[in-house]
Amino acid sequence: MLAIILVRLFFIQIVEHGHWVMKADEQHTLLETIVAKRGEIYMMEGEKPAPVVLNQTTYQIIIDPSVTNQDEIKSALESYAKDYIVVDFDEIYHTDGLRYSIVAKNVPRELASQISELGISAVWFQKNNQRVYPENEMASGLLGFVNADGIGQYGVEGSLNHLLAGKDGLLKTTSDINNVALSIGNDNIKIPAEDGKDIVLSIDRSFERGIEEIANEALASSAATNVAVLAMDPNTGEILAMANLPNYNPGNYGNVTDSSAYINYTTEVPYEPASICKSFAFSAAINEGVMTPHTTYYNQGYEIIDSETINNAEKRASLNGYIDIQTALYWSLNTGSIYALKLLGNNTESINQQGREKLYDYYYNKFRLGQATGIELAEAEGFVWSPNAEIYGLNAAYANMTFGQNLSLTMVQVASAFSAIVNGGIYHTPTVVKGTLKNDKIIPFEQTTDAEDKILSDETSATMRGMLINNRSSKVLWGIDPPGYAIGGKTGTAQAIKDGAYTMDEFIGSYIGFVGTEEELPKIVIMVKMWGEGQKIEGNKDPMSLFDSLSNYAINYFKIKPKV
Amino acid sequence: MKNRKHKSDLIILFATLGLMALGLIIIYAIGPMRANVLNSTYGTDYDSNFFFLGQLRSVGLSLLAFFAAFKWIPYKYIKKSAKIIMITALILSVMLWILALAGSSLARCELGECRWFNLGSISFQPAEFLKLALVVYLADFLTRKKAEGNIGKWKEFWFPLLIICGVSLFLVVIAQGDLGTGVALISIVFGMLLISGIPARQYLIMVALVLAVAVGAVMTSSHRMERVDAWLTTLSGGESTDSTYHIENAILAIGTGGLFGVGVGNSVQATGYLPESINDSVFAIMGETFGFMGLFLIILVFGALLLRMLKVAENSPDTNDRFFVIGVFSWTLAQVVVNIMAMTSLVPVTGITLPLLSYGGTSMIFIAFAIGLVLQLSCYTSREVNKNEDISSRRGLRGAHYPNRRRSS
Repeated sequence: MLAIILVRLFFIQIVEHGHWVMKADEQHTLLETIVAKRGEIYMMEGEKPAPVVLNQTTYQIIIDPSVTNQDEIKSALESYAKDYIVVDFDEIYHTDGLRYSIVAKNVPRELASQISELGISAVWFQKNNQRVYPENEMASGLLGFVNADGIGQYGVEGSLNHLLAGKDGLLKTTSDINNVALSIGNDNIKIPAEDGKDIVLSIDRSFERGIEEIANEALASSAATNVAVLAMDPNTGEILAMANLPNYNPGNYGNVTDSSAYINYTTEVPYEPASICKSFAFSAAINEGVMTPHTTYYNQGYEIIDSETINNAEKRASLNGYIDIQTALYWSLNTGSIYALKLLGNNTESINQQGREKLYDYYYNKFRLGQATGIELAEAEGFVWSPNAEIYGLNAAYANMTFGQNLSLTMVQVASAFSAIVNGGIYHTPTVVKGTLKNDKIIPFEQTTDAEDKILSDETSATMRGMLINNRSSKVLWGIDPPGYAIGGKTGTAQAIKDGAYTMDEFIGSYIGFVGTEEELPKIVIMVKMWGEGQKIEGNKDPMSLFDSLSNYAINYFKIKPKV
Repeated sequence: MKNRKHKSDLIILFATLGLMALGLIIIYAIGPMRANVLNSTYGTDYDSNFFFLGQLRSVGLSLLAFFAAFKWIPYKYIKKSAKIIMITALILSVMLWILALAGSSLARCELGECRWFNLGSISFQPAEFLKLALVVYLADFLTRKKAEGNIGKWKEFWFPLLIICGVSLFLVVIAQGDLGTGVALISIVFGMLLISGIPARQYLIMVALVLAVAVGAVMTSSHRMERVDAWLTTLSGGESTDSTYHIENAILAIGTGGLFGVGVGNSVQATGYLPESINDSVFAIMGETFGFMGLFLIILVFGALLLRMLKVAENSPDTNDRFFVIGVFSWTLAQVVVNIMAMTSLVPVTGITLPLLSYGGTSMIFIAFAIGLVLQLSCYTSREVNKNEDISSRRGLRGAHYPNRRRSS
């Protein structure tokens, strides 16, 4: 009998050994993900990073209504975590057969542990890693949110998710029957989690807050329903403020009913910035040496190109006849920018291939309009017509492009190009990330490389600044722009496109301008866009007056000194 | 009528001590895991050394019982009190039964089976005492019947024997629900009957009868049938169910051991996967820990122990002694074989401890006491040639020489 047993043992232990080891591994091995800590997001507060997105461990409290004592759990929650209760106790205790109910959500750790110490039976605490936004709704369109799966959506959370998320680790270990890891065994694997990187944005936190306050006030007194504001340092390409109003609360992103609230209009939505683009067309012609502010042309109030009649918006009779380019920019005459296109082709009468090619070279290659800028956010490419596009009315399309229609550009493209015009002619790649934070030090972000491309001469830039400052000459007279400053700007009013055609019932109003000390390079470029369904928002009305407020706010905030 | 006393059987002595030591080591290694599993599953508060200290106490008491039986309590006094011992054992079992029926806290029950007296910090399992008592009593009974020439007679032999066995089995299997001890009792009886000189035909009829009753008992109990089912399922490699879990995890533990085992303290199956890891399943844990070589050695030691017992029985000059040794032999053999065969799924799981190795107090103390007595008797065998023996004083096999009470050296 003992021999039978020995044979049997030999069979189990030697012959079938591999099989049983495999079975044992199946039973004993615990595979667990070590969750990486998500990086936090900072903005600048002066010279120091200040957190705007943090992590917090919170708890969901779960009960089994058929076991958990109603009075005990109710009074415990009401005395410790009243604000976090998500159910009506009478209701869940009157639901037959309910064995599982989440009674409180997002309960902070301290409160959860106090409740846990009461030792009420059949109460479970489920740990969550929650994103906390101490500035609440501020800059929501820029920041984005993290969804229930822990994946960043929209904004920085979305576009830099790969950096913020880090890399989960893996724990493969022998465990006991209660899934507690054991130190037994040689095949245990522990790949530690790589925590996500903390990201510092170039956004100035208090400036952003101030900009949003002012923009919200403007929005309240305007027919517009939305406003987007972009402020950047024209000398570096750093974005200092980026607002999309109305905001939403990223901590409660689920409460948003219309997902368009998540959109960052400054980078994701290309549109027609309209007359703002005249700055680009004039810069091109001036830089090519074919035009000066004092070049004159005959303005008859309209042009017919490719059998399309293009009218000026401003039709006052005093402008008819020979006028100079500076006047044409001041009154935002479409005929003026069309003339610049003609001059680019060395032809005063009509638009030609050379003119188109020159304009395209400036628009697309130099100002990088109609292509992604490389900013660290989700962005649209936009569109400009190729000079050789095989369409009917290409010249008309090009004429339109000189005053910002028949193309589509994002605000960040426009603001970056505009910055190059006013900063001495250098195109800087726009950037919203200053770097990653490590041991309280900002490590520059190697992902973004500044193009730093000298695209216009110093003289062209100075000339353009002069013309743009001239646009606001009345603002100085009325005391809106304080004396001793160089403040210039340009309006833009585009007919909205409805069902593929321009409509006269809805306008999108834009304004872009710069602010600096007189006779110095500008310190800041601010762009405003306002719109609303069925609303005619003209660039020289609400958007311009919002710029007026913002430019004064920027002077105060950055303590820009007037020329003495 | 005894031979001159000579040196005891060293193999029995060292096999017993070695097995006890091994049991202690294994419990030392897996006791903390057992405590941990119980604590986290049932919220108990066992210290990690709880089971080791318990086993240490059991081994200490067992050693005391072993040496008391070996050296200080002559078997002749025990065989004189055979009837009293048997009656005491039966009374204890009956008392337990009554206490359990009355729901007294003096009866300790686990999973609905009440097998222990609860005496404060210690507990006592009367069934273990009953096994010893049955061996002692049957040795006396068979010796008497043999001397009277009544072996095999219905009225004088079978009637009283069946009464005694029936009552014992009823108390153990029905009242205490302890099938494992029942199997041990039956093995003891048949082992002892084998050398009693009853006619082979009667013996075979009785074996057939008992088998029929056993099969009937299994068939009529869903709980037992489930175990048989589980056993057959495991053997045929069928789908796992709750009832095959125990056997599967026992084989899994043994199988993982391989040739040399995972080493002391590295058992994973003991961390809660294998039920009864410190009691009935300790053999499987040893298989995991020491591998095939380890189990081979353990079986070798048990084999040597059993063979030496047979030798003692064979050479015992006294009929009663011989019956007694064969009883202890059958008892040990039954427990070893049934336990190991269950763990290797050669028979269904019955819930029986592995002598000297399993965690548990009463069972170890009584079997240690019984083996101690065998060891005592090994000093008085006849054909054993021993260097220490005083050959000059030897007077032949059936000489009237009584051993003096000197200690063997």
